Amino acid sequence: MGVIRNKKAFFVFLLPGLLFYILAVFYPIEESIRLSFMKWGGIGEKEFVGFANYIAMFKDKVFYTAFFNNLIYLLIVVIMQLSIGLLFAILLTYMTKRVTLVKTLYYVPCIITTVAVTQMFRSMYSTEPMGLLNQILQIVGMDQFVKPWLADIHTVLAAVSVPEGWRFTGMYMVIFYAALVSLDPSVYEAAKVDGATELQILFKIKIPLIKDILLLTLTMCLTGALRGFDIPFLLTSGGPGNASELMSTYMYKKAFSSNQYGYGSALAVFIIVESILVVFVLRKLFTSKDEAEARKIERLQRKGRKN
Amino acid sequence: MKKKSLKIIFGLVILGFLLIQIYPVIWLFLASVKPTVELASAPFALPKSITFDNFIKVLSDGKIGTYMWNSLKVTSISLILIIALSSTAGYALSKFKVRGTKNLYTFFTFGIMIPVQITLIPLFIFYGKMGILNTSFSMILPQVGFALPLSVMMFVNFYSFVPNELIEAAVMDGCSPYRIFFQIVFPLSRNTIITIASMYSILIWNDFIFANTFISESSAKTVAMGLKDYVGAFGNVDWGSTFAAIVISILPPLLIYFSLNKWVTAGMTAGATKG
Repeated sequence: MGVIRNKKAFFVFLLPGLLFYILAVFYPIEESIRLSFMKWGGIGEKEFVGFANYIAMFKDKVFYTAFFNNLIYLLIVVIMQLSIGLLFAILLTYMTKRVTLVKTLYYVPCIITTVAVTQMFRSMYSTEPMGLLNQILQIVGMDQFVKPWLADIHTVLAAVSVPEGWRFTGMYMVIFYAALVSLDPSVYEAAKVDGATELQILFKIKIPLIKDILLLTLTMCLTGALRGFDIPFLLTSGGPGNASELMSTYMYKKAFSSNQYGYGSALAVFIIVESILVVFVLRKLFTSKDEAEARKIERLQRKGRKN
Repeated sequence: MKKKSLKIIFGLVILGFLLIQIYPVIWLFLASVKPTVELASAPFALPKSITFDNFIKVLSDGKIGTYMWNSLKVTSISLILIIALSSTAGYALSKFKVRGTKNLYTFFTFGIMIPVQITLIPLFIFYGKMGILNTSFSMILPQVGFALPLSVMMFVNFYSFVPNELIEAAVMDGCSPYRIFFQIVFPLSRNTIITIASMYSILIWNDFIFANTFISESSAKTVAMGLKDYVGAFGNVDWGSTFAAIVISILPPLLIYFSLNKWVTAGMTAGATKG
């Protein structure tokens, strides 16, 4: 695809960006992996300990708590973002007026800093003064559910997950909406003529057609939730106890509060492996399906030719 | 008849969703102009009287000015670097006939998968050694580094639409690769530049994780971090000032968003769908 044959100019244009990228992204990865085999408290000599940090990690009870909390967090965030995002995108496609306005406003939470989002939710969850959530519960007569949501170990994990889910729903809505309106209407107009209901068209034609976008958003959502940090860290920083501890908040605490840089790095390496694994598995899962479909179509075509 | 009631229900559902999405933001603005007593007694009622005391208090202690200035510095320097580095690298990767460009491109885009948390510990140690913790530079390096994969990708995508014939003709006329870039290719990519600049200005302005890790001195704090200051010791929160400070700090991103809406969503969704 290239046309210019000037090696020197090529490097002049490429190197600044490449060097910056290596220094900011790859140097830290390499260092994290190296540090994960060390024991180091920030001062003095680093001590090589082999796999000791990883062994300690797999024996650490809090690690498992953080891991399973992360799974629940991930579930809540993904379900909220994908289902509400998709539902709202579908509703929007039936709207005729003011679509742009609604879309614009719906996207606003995505551009607000997480610190602001957490302060808002903190005051909504509070009991002193009575926050919005508890006020609503009182109004509808469910006084027994009024509680300090962030201090209760049974509710805190859900309470820190919901703001994250809420925040990016608008972004997924915009993606889904763009995918839905870019579909060629002739594909489902024939079905309409044949008497298919709107719901049938939606579930049998439109949603299967945006399958690729669904995979992409699922990947984004999952990797995003695995890295989840800002909102849980700001709202509770993992507490009370470890009730809302996630992988990244635990890593952060180990490194920057307890100065266990080696152990923190082992946790960081675990997060990166997890993320890459998710991307890899999802890609594998969906491409193999695509290939199967391609083969099916081929078979049908061969059959058609025979007849 | 049935159709009409369906339409009304549909409208109500849309409104309901919209309310959930933007109510907290509206509430934030309302809370910031409420008198302190009212905020404590009826935080979710409409304000009975409007006061700008909270804003005066926040603005007069001067801190927020410093924070805004720091955020502006970090954001603008990062943006210049992101555009400069990704447009040139994108040009190199898309318009030069040199072996290995494909692999280099893959190498660049690989960065999209990397969680930013991986950089915190090594960079913290590295900055400590260099003595540059608590400087704006410590935030700029990772911001730019992690913006490069996506912005390089967006520039490569755009440059692939610039016809090769155009560049060939320029080469034939004896135009140097440098002039081709500055006089033909770069000016053509105006829309890509606006998309990247508008999207990353919001993301970098809002960053919390790098600022919180590398900055502890008040003089170098950015807005997003500075907001935490209003939560006093022992968790005593001055809610009035907090909300006023939040409103001031989210005005720039809101302004950019409402004036460049199309480009911001285009960038974020591209960022999203390329992940």
